[in-house]
Order: sequence, then C-alpha cells, then structure tokens
Amino acid sequence: MLKNYLISAWRNLLKNRVFSTINIVGLAIGIASFILIGNYVLDELSYDRWNPQAENIYRVDADIIMGGSELNLAVSSDPMGATLKKDYPQVKEYVRLYGSSGSKLIKKGDEFINEPRLVHADSTLLRVFPFEVIAGDALHPLDGPNKVILSETGVKKYFGTLPYQDIIGKTLETDDKNKLYTVTAIIKDVPHNTHFYVDLFFSMQNVDYEWGSFLSNNFNTYILLEPGTDPIVFQKNFIGFINKYILPQVQQFMPMKSMDEFTAAGNKLVYFLYPLTDIHLHSNRVAELDTNGNIQYVYIFSAVALFILLIACVNFMNLSTARSSSRAREVGVRKVLGTERKDLIIQFLTESTLMAGIATGLGIVAAIALLPYFNDLAAKSISIPELFSKKWILIILMLPLLVGILAGLYPAFYLSAFQPIAVLKGRLSGTLNKSAFRSVLVVFQFATSILLIIAAIVVFNQLKYIQNASIGFNKEQVLILNGTNALGTQVDAFKNEISGLNGVIASTYTGYLPVSNSSRNDNTFFKDATPDINRGLNMQVWTIDEDYITLLGMEIIQGRNFSKEYGTDSSAVILNESAVKLLNYQQNALNEKVYGSSRTEQNKFVPYHVVGVVKDFNFESLRQKVGPLCFFLGKSSWSTSFKVKSADVQNLIAQIETKWKSMANGAPFSYRFLDQSFDDMYRAEQRVGKIAMTFSILAIFIACLGLFGLATYIAEQRTKEIGIRKVLGAEITGIIGLLSKDFIKLVCIAALIAFPLGWFLMNRWLQEFAFRINIAWWVFLVAGLSAILIALFTVSFQAIKAALMNPVKSLRTE
Amino acid sequence: MIKITDLEKTYRTEEVETMALNKVSFEVKTGEFIAIMGPSGCGKSTLLNILGLLDDMDGGSYMFNDIEVAKFNERKRADLRKHNIGFVFQSFNLIDELSVFENVELPLIYTGVKSDERKRRVEEVLDKMQIMHRRNHFPQQLSGGQQQRVAVARAVVNKPKLILADEPTGNLDSSNGNEVMQLLTDLNEQGTTIIMVTHSEHDARYSHRIVRMLDGRTVMENILV
Repeated sequence: MLKNYLISAWRNLLKNRVFSTINIVGLAIGIASFILIGNYVLDELSYDRWNPQAENIYRVDADIIMGGSELNLAVSSDPMGATLKKDYPQVKEYVRLYGSSGSKLIKKGDEFINEPRLVHADSTLLRVFPFEVIAGDALHPLDGPNKVILSETGVKKYFGTLPYQDIIGKTLETDDKNKLYTVTAIIKDVPHNTHFYVDLFFSMQNVDYEWGSFLSNNFNTYILLEPGTDPIVFQKNFIGFINKYILPQVQQFMPMKSMDEFTAAGNKLVYFLYPLTDIHLHSNRVAELDTNGNIQYVYIFSAVALFILLIACVNFMNLSTARSSSRAREVGVRKVLGTERKDLIIQFLTESTLMAGIATGLGIVAAIALLPYFNDLAAKSISIPELFSKKWILIILMLPLLVGILAGLYPAFYLSAFQPIAVLKGRLSGTLNKSAFRSVLVVFQFATSILLIIAAIVVFNQLKYIQNASIGFNKEQVLILNGTNALGTQVDAFKNEISGLNGVIASTYTGYLPVSNSSRNDNTFFKDATPDINRGLNMQVWTIDEDYITLLGMEIIQGRNFSKEYGTDSSAVILNESAVKLLNYQQNALNEKVYGSSRTEQNKFVPYHVVGVVKDFNFESLRQKVGPLCFFLGKSSWSTSFKVKSADVQNLIAQIETKWKSMANGAPFSYRFLDQSFDDMYRAEQRVGKIAMTFSILAIFIACLGLFGLATYIAEQRTKEIGIRKVLGAEITGIIGLLSKDFIKLVCIAALIAFPLGWFLMNRWLQEFAFRINIAWWVFLVAGLSAILIALFTVSFQAIKAALMNPVKSLRTE
Repeated sequence: MIKITDLEKTYRTEEVETMALNKVSFEVKTGEFIAIMGPSGCGKSTLLNILGLLDDMDGGSYMFNDIEVAKFNERKRADLRKHNIGFVFQSFNLIDELSVFENVELPLIYTGVKSDERKRRVEEVLDKMQIMHRRNHFPQQLSGGQQQRVAVARAVVNKPKLILADEPTGNLDSSNGNEVMQLLTDLNEQGTTIIMVTHSEHDARYSHRIVRMLDGRTVMENILV
C-alpha cells in the first residue's frame, strides 16, 4: 500500500513541475531558516547550562536608589561572598570575579600586547565554575597571589605550541605592579555559552583594592547554594545582613539610626540573588562581565522562524487545494474502488511528507551553505557539527514528518472529502476555484510579510534616529588613543607633540567618555556640610581637563568651563542639567555648593562650588535616561582624544603611531573613533534590523512563490473564459485587472490586519529606548504598497501571459 | 441478489426540488444481465449510483444479498463495494499517474491481497483482456478502446459478484464498443451479474432484460431471449 502511495506521490511530483518546484523551494527556504534560527535560539537558551550546578548558582546583585538616582548593579561588595558563607550554612561555596581593572598589557616576546579577556578570581573558582583542567593543578590553582590560569586560547596566544606540561610553572609578565604571574593550570576554553568570555584568571590577592568595605560594590559575586535551598526564602536574610554589616559602616560617615530612616527618605538598598542561567538573556545591569543577549530577540527570532516555515506550508496548502480539480477524479476513482477516507488522507500525507523530505534535504544543504553568512548576521560562531548536534538532529529528522503533516493535513482532509459521483461527473470544477479558507491563508502570508517589513523599517528608523539624534556632544572626527597612561610622565609631551601635527585641531584627556564600555565612577554628594540622607544625591563623577567640553562640542548653558585662569578650579564642579534638577536648585545653580569626600584626603568631607552647568548629553545608550553627572578638573590620562580634520586620516594615524612607538616603550598602539564606539552600543539593534530585513525578504519571496503558483492555476482554469471575453472585445488591461483584482484585494486585507499589529508590537519594542521615534504613517504606506506592488508584479506575469494568448487557441484547448 | 423497493431520491437546490427517483422497485437475480434505458435526466445514472452505494437514498429499501444496506455508514459501504462490486464508466476514469498494471492492481491493494498473488491475478486478467503488452504504459498512451479494456480489467480483477457499467461504450467507436460488450457478455456467462446503463438499443440487446425509465420511474420491462 505504502509503495503504491509513494509511486503515486513521486509521479505527481514529477508531473506538476511548477507546483512541486514552488513548494519544495519555499519549504527548503523555510526549513533552512528554521534550522539556522533554531540553532541560534537553542544556543542562546543554553547559556551557563553546561555547568552541572547551574540550578544552584546565583549572582548577588544590588539595587540602590539614593537621592533619586538609581543603580542596578551586577556586582556587590568584596566581603559579601565570604560573609554569606560564614553566616549561612545554605551557602556551600562562593567565588568573586573582579573585572573592573580592565585590560592588562602582557608581554609576548619583546612586546606587550593588550589583553582584555581577563579577570581576577578567588581560589574557589573551579568549585563554582568547573572548567575542565587539562594540565597543572586541578584543585587549588589560584591559592595564593601571583598565579594565573590560562585557557587553551590564552596558551596559544602567549606560549604558541609549547607542550602544556612545559608551560606549567612558567611566568607571564604584566604591566601591573605585581609584574610576574606563574601559570598553575591550563583549562579547556571557557564554553562559548558562558555569560563571560575569559582566557586568563589571575589571583584575587593581586587586586589593588581597599579591602573590607561593604559600601563599594565592585565584585561579581557568585554563590553556590546547597541543593534544595529556596533562593526566594534565602534572600530574606539580606535584611538582617544589611543591618548587621552595612548599617554600621554607613553610620561612620552619616548620622542614621536605622535602615528604615534610609528607606523613609525615598532611598533603597536591596540585595538579591540572580539565577546563573538567567543572566545571559535577562540581565542588563551595571558592571556585567560581558555584553549579554536579550530574551526579547530570542522570542522575535523564534517567531520569525516559525512564521517563515508556516508561510511555506501555506503555499503547499493553497496550491494543493487550488489544483484539487486535477486530483478530484483520482479521489473519485479510488473511492469507487473501495478506499476509505482515512486511506486517502494517509496517501495525501505521504505526498506532502515526501515533498517535505526533499525540501528538508535541500534545506540542510542550504543551511550549511549559508551558515557563514548567518553567523555573521547573528554574531554567532555556530559550526557545522553544532548545527547537527545530537539534540538538534532528532528535530531535523522529524521535520519532514512534522512539516509534511502541517502542510498536508488540510489538503488531505479537503481532497479526501470529495464525493465520488460528484467529481466523476465533473460537478465540482466550478466550486474548486474559490475557497474562503485559501483566501484566509493568503491573507495570513501577506499579513506576516507586511509585519516583518514594518518591523525592519521601524528598527532601521530608530537606529537612524539614534545615529542622528541630538545627543549633546559631537562624536564626529574624534580619534581616541587607548592606554595612553602607559606613556607615564611622557603623556603630556606626547599629547603636545600630536597636537602639533597637521590635521589635529585639538586634544584632551578622555578617561571618561560618553559611550558604553568606557570608565565610570560614581559617588554620593550632599547639599549640606553635614550629610543628611534626605539631601543626598548619587551621581557620576568624571575627571576632565579644560579642553574636554570644547573638544566634544558640549554646550555650557550656565556659568563657565574649567579654566587655567582660575586657581580655585580644583575645588570646582560643573554639573549637568539632570543633576541641577535633582539637587533642586532654583533658577541659578551657580555659586551653590555640593559636599562630598575630599579628593585628596581620606575621610574628609569638603565643599565643591558649582561654576557651570552643561546641557544634558547622553553618556549611556539612548535606551537609558540621562542621569545626574558632575565634572571635576583633573587628568584622566588612560585615554587621550584628538579632534582631527584631515583628508588623509590613515596617514595621520600612521604619523601618530610612529610618535607613539618612539615614546611608549613597547606598549601597544591602539585607537578607535568615537562615532564607531557610539555605533557599537547599538550592534544588537543593527543585527535585529538586518535579520528582520533578511527574513522579511525571504518571507515575501516564499509568499510570492505561492501567489505565482495560485495565479498560474487560476489563469489556466480561466483560459476559456478569457478567450470568450477577448472574442467579445475585452482589452488586455481589462483581463489583467480581472485576474489580479482578487489577489490584490487579499493583500489589502492583509495590510489592514498587519498595520495595527505592527504598530502595537513595534511600539512595545521602542519602549526599550528612553529616546525613541514615533512610528510615522508612511512606514505603513511603504510596507503596504511594497507588498501590493510585489504581489501585483507576481500575479500580472501570469495574467499578462493569459491575456496575450490567442483566443482561438485558448478556446480550442477546452 | 438485489431487491429495491420504493426507492426515492430527491435533488434540492434553493429554488427547485427535483424528484430523480420516484418509488422505483425492481429485483435483480444472480447471474442476470440487465440494461437500464431512458432519456437523459430520467434517473438511470442516479439509480446506478445508489445501487453502487456511491449515493444516498432518501426513502425505500435496498437489499443486497438479503442484507438491508440503505443505512450503511461510509466504512461499511466502502467495504461492501470493494469486495462485491466492480465499476465501468463511460469516461474510463483511470488514474493518469498510474500505469496500466498499477491501475488494475489498485482494487487488490485495497482488499489487502498479497503482492505475489496481486501480480498473478493482474497478469491473468490483463492477458484475458488482451492488453498484457501495454502493462507498463500510462492511460494517456492508450486508445479509448484500450483504456476501456483496462477499466473493465480493473472492474473484474477482484472477481466481484456485480458489475455496474455506466454507458461503457459511450466514448468508443462501434468496433471498440462491440469488443467491450463482448467482454461483458463473457463475464456474465461466467456468472457475474451485470447492470448496465445505456442509450444504445444495440448494446441493450446484449442483455437479458431491459428496464425502461421515464421521469424517475420504471415504466416498462422487456425480457429478451
């Protein structure tokens, strides 16, 4: 029986080449998209799950509100981990990772190279994150200072192909004051699906830090709870913890009786546990170890993959039922010969499964061929073996069956329901052309496609808006040199020399920059000489020089810039508008004072007078509101920026590099442009935009394939009608209109459904941005019109062919 | 073998109600060869479809081998059809995607006959219909006469007790038509009951009895010698 089904399916496939090609190509594209996006989604969902203890590991995070400014931290204080372990038996182990010292220069051969992928870690590292040790000390590799664990990639970078056993015991030289670190262990690379990407783990003891403060939060702290511990219940312990350890330290500099007083003033200090496996997709907090993913995009991409596959399945449903008249007689005959309906359903499902099987084969080939492009598009590094990993290959092998049933079920029920006498007497043919359900399916295809077009346009518009938004500073033509503190005492001389080069207009030290992944520093200030929590404000504190504001094109709206002419500027501050607002200064902020810790003497509280107010500028991504910020005068020389205006920037950079090499003592030369760093903040959105665009094009293409098929069959079936109309004097344009009208009507309905849905969904996406566009009416017009035009183009191809046919011929064929 | 009593069938559209069969009664004995004749629209094809269990009846009784089949559900009807009835149509109704052999094999597949046995029986019947040399051809590659012989082969391959033929020679020239009528006569002589709808007096003369219909009623029976 099955053989008979397969034979009949195969011959049908060959006989209807157009139909089969449309279906197979559409399904193959759908399946390739599904495989690629499915891998992306699985990879995103797999983060940190490789860790066998993942379910019991939590990061200790803090939410702090002080003086109206809010901090959501991925870090906590240095004694946090050890104190929790000491006080609570539920805490089995803890480990701190310290990444705040940024990159190090590490000696390789004769030169130092910049190494960003490093952290300092506690000796308990491997007990919480059991990375596989392939050489050296597997138990206590970080016990004691001056030790380092290398990953295989780290080994390759600094020791080349030396055998692993020979590397254990060797030293790495760095630019920090400890200089030499002994390699104690080599581990397999940290799995790519870990929320941090590190090649070197240094001893925690080597961090230059004032240990013991519960008030500075700088350590990513992970705790391993005993199995069965309820994290929600455990979190309640933090209230007692704060009273026992944090309050006494706060009281040392602020008269405060209890934490209730602190909270009553509108402030907040909360510690809580963030599940390890949620970090990658859900956490977007200050001081993350790496840029995390976003669950929203996982949802969006999953939906896109499913929709594309569905659109391809819809083609099969539509074309199968549209051309059902050619199968109707077969159904009739088989039924007369005694076939039951269920056998016919199985027969048609066999056909759709066979087609889906061929499409799956092609889809797999396409997925392999397109993998490099997809990796590029989605910023992944999925390999071909990963594409067909154990858990995934099962799904892929099931695809022909799943897709076959999904696509074939409706046609199978539809076709198998024909009454034999009706079809054998040819009584059905008139009613086969029109099917309400088929119209619904076409509407679904185009509504989805239009939705994707709207999404792509809105994402691109928002990106364009961000790039051109008035961000309060000028990011163009600013060349940033990194690590200029390596020049030591020479840094001023270097800056002056470069400023003298032709094409360099101005220079400034830019340790703090208004783009993400730049240094940050915050502190709490008060309006009075005695700290009162009701009158405090936590804000960003950036040390800048006199040229900073001018070079970055920021606008001073009150008062003045720092100036060498005033000897008192070392105790002056310039505030941004948000700080002025939060400090509640009326009208004139000038001559007001803010009080804070002395910059020169420990534990001393001193006044700073406000000399200027700078217009708010976006110093974080436009997703966030502008927070309070103040500038101090000083020299943050770990990065230096130059305003350049040169026709030959590359040549200018080469000149700067030459100068650098003569003064920098082997330190690596590294530069970037401010506008590039600015764009880097929106990589995720750019990716989403590109992915939405790519897949909306694919979706439209598949939908049009289907439309083309439908138009072909409808034109074929109406050949006689067209012939008669032409004989009676119909114009060609009239006939094209006749054949296209119905389809265009459907696309218009699809547009009407997609518009409000697109508006709603894209507005929700835009809510992520504090600074965002309003979706303009023309977005819908463009999306709708392009879908209609593409559909019209597709349909009219067949319509014109039919309309141009010689009526004598078309009448004779009937 | 067949006994119908007061058979009724009405076709309804929104405006018109047409009585296709109006209290038709007759009996067919095993081994008989009956021709049903009448002008277009008299209800003869409707009668044949009901006899073949392809269509529902609105009233009356239909006994097939002493079993009332009027109230059979779809499954029981399909079962009765595939084991007892063979069909021959005016337009042959072969499946274009299947070869001659596969078309004839189809009823045997549906009745669950094993592969070896199927091959033997299909070859036997193709041989008998003198169409063996065309076994691997597809319907479009055959002449009308050949196609109808394949259709007859398909109708008889399961050795049905009853063959229903709906104008079996309607699409054929006279010599091909005669051949097909001879085939049916031979089958009848070997014991198969045949009910045939036809417009042709010539074809009707091959039968034992002619039932004439008009406006949904049987009006006359001619018994031929």
